Formats: sequence, C-alpha cells, structure tokens
Amino acid sequence: MVSLEAIANSVASGFLLGGILALTALGLSIVLGVMRLVNLAHGVFLIAGAYVGFFLLQATGVDPIIALVPIGVVIGAAALPVQRFLLEPLTKFGPEAPMMTTFGIAIVLENLFVLYFSADTRSIERDYATVPLLLGPVSVPLVYVFGFVISVGVILIVHAIVSWTSFGRDLRASAVDPGAAAAVGVDVRRVHALTFALGAACAAAGGTLIGIIFSFTPASGANYLLTDFAIVVLGGMGNIFGTLVGGILLGVLQSLAGVTLGDGYRDLVGLVLFLAVLAVRPQGLFRGHAA
Amino acid sequence: MTQKTANLRRAVRNVEQLAGIVIAAVFVPGIALPNLLSDYELQIGFRIMLYIVLAEAWNLLAGYCGLVSLGSASFVGVGAYVLVGLLNHTGIPVPMAVGIAGLAGAALAAVVAPAVFRLRGLYFTVGTLALGEALRMLMINVPWFGGATGLFLHVDWPSSRELYIYVFGLLCVTEVTLSVGTRSRLSILMRAVRDDEDAAAQVGVRAFRVKLGTFMIASFLMSAAGALQAYKLAAVEPYGMFGLQWSVDVLAMVIIGGMGLRYGPVVGAVFVVLLAELLADYPELHVAITGLILIVLIRFAPKGLVGLLGRISSLLARRLAGVHLV
Repeated sequence: MVSLEAIANSVASGFLLGGILALTALGLSIVLGVMRLVNLAHGVFLIAGAYVGFFLLQATGVDPIIALVPIGVVIGAAALPVQRFLLEPLTKFGPEAPMMTTFGIAIVLENLFVLYFSADTRSIERDYATVPLLLGPVSVPLVYVFGFVISVGVILIVHAIVSWTSFGRDLRASAVDPGAAAAVGVDVRRVHALTFALGAACAAAGGTLIGIIFSFTPASGANYLLTDFAIVVLGGMGNIFGTLVGGILLGVLQSLAGVTLGDGYRDLVGLVLFLAVLAVRPQGLFRGHAA
Repeated sequence: MTQKTANLRRAVRNVEQLAGIVIAAVFVPGIALPNLLSDYELQIGFRIMLYIVLAEAWNLLAGYCGLVSLGSASFVGVGAYVLVGLLNHTGIPVPMAVGIAGLAGAALAAVVAPAVFRLRGLYFTVGTLALGEALRMLMINVPWFGGATGLFLHVDWPSSRELYIYVFGLLCVTEVTLSVGTRSRLSILMRAVRDDEDAAAQVGVRAFRVKLGTFMIASFLMSAAGALQAYKLAAVEPYGMFGLQWSVDVLAMVIIGGMGLRYGPVVGAVFVVLLAELLADYPELHVAITGLILIVLIRFAPKGLVGLLGRISSLLARRLAGVHLV
C-alpha cells in the first residue's frame, strides 16, 4: 500500500514538473495552432537547448538557468533560416511536405549530435538540483520549484506577447484565417517565420531546464516530443493556457501512475490519455481560441 | 484527346508490366539457382524485399488514400509477436502463421479505425504515432508476452535461402494486390477520399469504408512483413519490433522513391537499403545522410526519385523530338 505522504509528494512534484513540461510543449502548440505544422523537429530543438546550456556552463561557468533567454534567442535565430528556406517554400504542397521536412531535420540533427557530442548521457550539473524543499510533510526538489516559476513566467510572457502586442494580433489573425489576414495587410510569411522561431526558443529554454533537472542524450528528443504532443492534445492546439493546464494535468497523472502502478507506467499513462482525448475530443479538453 | 489518353493508358500498362518483369528478373534467379547468391547477398535480398513490402503498403495508405501514418511499427510488432506465439504453441507451417499474423494486423486496424479515423490529416498522423508508442509501452510493462525482454522462438533457425523464398512470396502477393488495387475502382475511390473527403462523401463515396479497407489491406501486409522479420531474428522484444524506426524508415523510403507513384516505394526501398549497406560502418552518418536526402528531395523533387526521373526523361524526349511536337 502506498502511503498518503508518498502520494502527496508525488502529486506536488508532478504538479511542478507539469509546469516545466508545459513550457517544453508551448512551442509545439503555437506552431501547430498558427502554422498548422506538426513540427517533428521540436524534440531535437529541445535537446539543442540542453546542449547549449551544457556547453555554456562548461566553457564559461555561467549558470544556464540565468541564461535561458539568450539560449532561446540563439536557437530561435538558428531556426529562422530553417523556416525561411526549407519550410516556407513547401506550404503550397499541403501540410505533409513541411511535416516530413521537419522529420528530416530531426534525424539529421539527432545524428549530428551523436557524431559531435557522442551518445553519452549528459546532465547540466548544478549543486542546487538535489536540494529538497520541505513544506510540512511534503518534500519536493527545490529545482522543480525554480523550474516551475520560470516556466510559468515564460508562458505568461508569451501569452502577453500574443494577447497585447501588434505582432500578437497579426499572429492571432494568421491563425484564424491566413488568407483573410493577408488580405487586410498582415505579412503572414513574417508571422510564420517568427512563430517558428518563438516555438524553437521556447523549446530550447524548456530543454535547458530539463537538462538541469534530468539528464539527456541525443535520442531523448523523441520522448519529449511525444509527451509534448500529449500535452498539446490535452490543452487544445495553439491554446497557451490550455497547454499550461494540460502540462500540469499530465505531470500529476504521470507521477500518480508512477507511484501507484510502477515507474514503467508513467509514459504509458500519458499516451493512453493522449489517445483517449484524441479519439473523444480531438479539439482538446478546453474550448480554445487559436493561439 | 481520346487517342492521347488511350496511348497514355497503354504506356502506363507497359511500364507496370516492365516493372513487374524487372522485379522478377532481379529476385527470381536467387531462388532458381541455389548457389548463385552468397549468404550475405541473400540477406540483403531479404531486407530489400521486406522493405519493399512495407513501403508499398505505406504508399497505398499515404500516397493513394491520404492516410499519412507514423504507426507502421504497431503493425510490424503485432505481426512479429503473433508469429512467435503461433510457431511456439501450435506448430503450424510458417506460411500459414505469416498469413494469420497478417490477419491479426488487419484486425488491429479494424479495431483502432473508429478512433483514428475521427482524426483528419495531421491529427491522424499524430494519433498513429501515439498508437505505436502506446503499444510499445504496453508490451514493455505488462507481464504477459515476455515484458521488456521479449520472447524467443523455439523452432529451428531458418536458412537465409528459406527466408528469401518466403519474403519473395510475400512480395508477389503485395505486387499483385497493389496492381489490382491501384487499377480497380478502389483506386478512384481512394484518391477521391484523399483529395477531398467531404466532397467524396457528398457524391456518395463511403469514405469510412474506403479508408477502412485500405487501412486493413496495408496493415495485413505490414504485419505479414513483421512476422517474417521475427522469424528471421528468432526473437522478438518490444523496443525493436515496436520501435519508431520502422515507421520512420518506411516513410523515408516512400518519400525518397516518390509518394503516390506506383513504383516509387520500390525504388525508395532499394535506394535506402543499398545506401545503408554502403555506409554500414558509419551508422550515424548514414541516418543523417538519409535525412539530408529526404529534405533535399522534398524541397526540390516532391515526387521523389521516380518523379525526378520522369521529369528528366520527358525533358529529354522533348529535346530530342525537336520543335514540331511542342
């Protein structure tokens, strides 16, 4: 029998972890919502962020947790030409061609990581990663709290950009109807390019946090891609707050499954939930507005 | 105009017959002359034919019916496990076990169809991806079917030649099915559903049935191929047989060869397997190069190698024919 304390612990850490997962899923969600693009390279963007954080710490000693924004900017800038030269010209062939291109990008990058950085398991070693935080009977890793606060902060910033800036207005218009948006003077191509870069930047920031909290290998991207898809489907594609709620929901359910059924069931629970929601409510659990 | 279409149709039929003859000419000598091919060559032949079957099945789904699936691994895995179960517990002949494994795959397709067909386009792709991964996680975690270690086959190891003959038989079944399927009424129904499901439904096409039929045929072939792979390995485990690699390889082959073209998958499968052999010493580089070829082809030749060849040959023909044809 699992003790109540263990369950409370796992719910608390699952909740916090879910917030961090939501940040990793955010980029996938807005790219899907705005560009109608299934970005299969999202997982390797995440791992790319983790590697940038890892080598930043190794080379300069700067803690990647305070360099999340520069890391995001670097990966976002690297993603811009990818969108401009590889994805944008393919939009006229329907949704499959760009999706398969992102898939090609994913396998190229993953194998380049193996070639240049080796297949070793790495983690961004910080001494605070193992410090627990005690709240009465509940104990959670302190780094989960950091990660959660940062992730929710980033998600709120992205939400603010989408809701209140002129770029956000263009983005929302392009998501609802690209043709009509273009007709009233929105530069849809520019919006798509920036959306893709924003998605990659969020992935990189999330990936750096993942690198600090867990470990990663070049092949870890595929697992996070699937988890992120589950979150996006739960929250509704392109729905920013839905993504946050979906992430937390998934985090809690995974932790509960891990503590009650065994660790192997963590990922299975996510996938089963994912399939069930896809089959019953493909638009997501929450009535969403685009982006 | 009618003369032109008749000519075109005859040309298509000629190409199909020619392709059939080429396929037979390449693979039959290995069976007819026992000592012609070395063990290594027989194994390469097995790989090529197995992948042609998988790629043809995937092309039927994606190229003809618009069902872009990332869940091929589900069906390969189910076929593999069913074959091992049947051979270990019943002692029926191998071809029959392969057939039953194929039927199991078709049955799985029928079971999941109501759920995944609710999903259109990209949602279908993501749904099939989740299906494959969920089945893999299930096989790792549940205590039946050997868990993460998998199962071993308790029958004698087949010779490379025996495997070669079996997979050639499956290839023949596949080619006949595809040729009949893509030339019959079903072909028109599939393409109608692919191009606009709602419009097709409006004019009386039963879209669900067309998709279900295609999905079951393709799944049968994939599971039969998975069964042969399991027979070759004499062991199955969830990471390998339900691995994402199957779904990914097959997709890459069809895109490289030419999606929606009758012989695109054949060319793609041969190309990818031979490339893998050439770069066998550099596995990461090989996958990266495959990815690069994929990106370049999608960008500059959306109809793959076969489409590219067609474009070059028609360009040459026009050059040779001179001005009066233009």
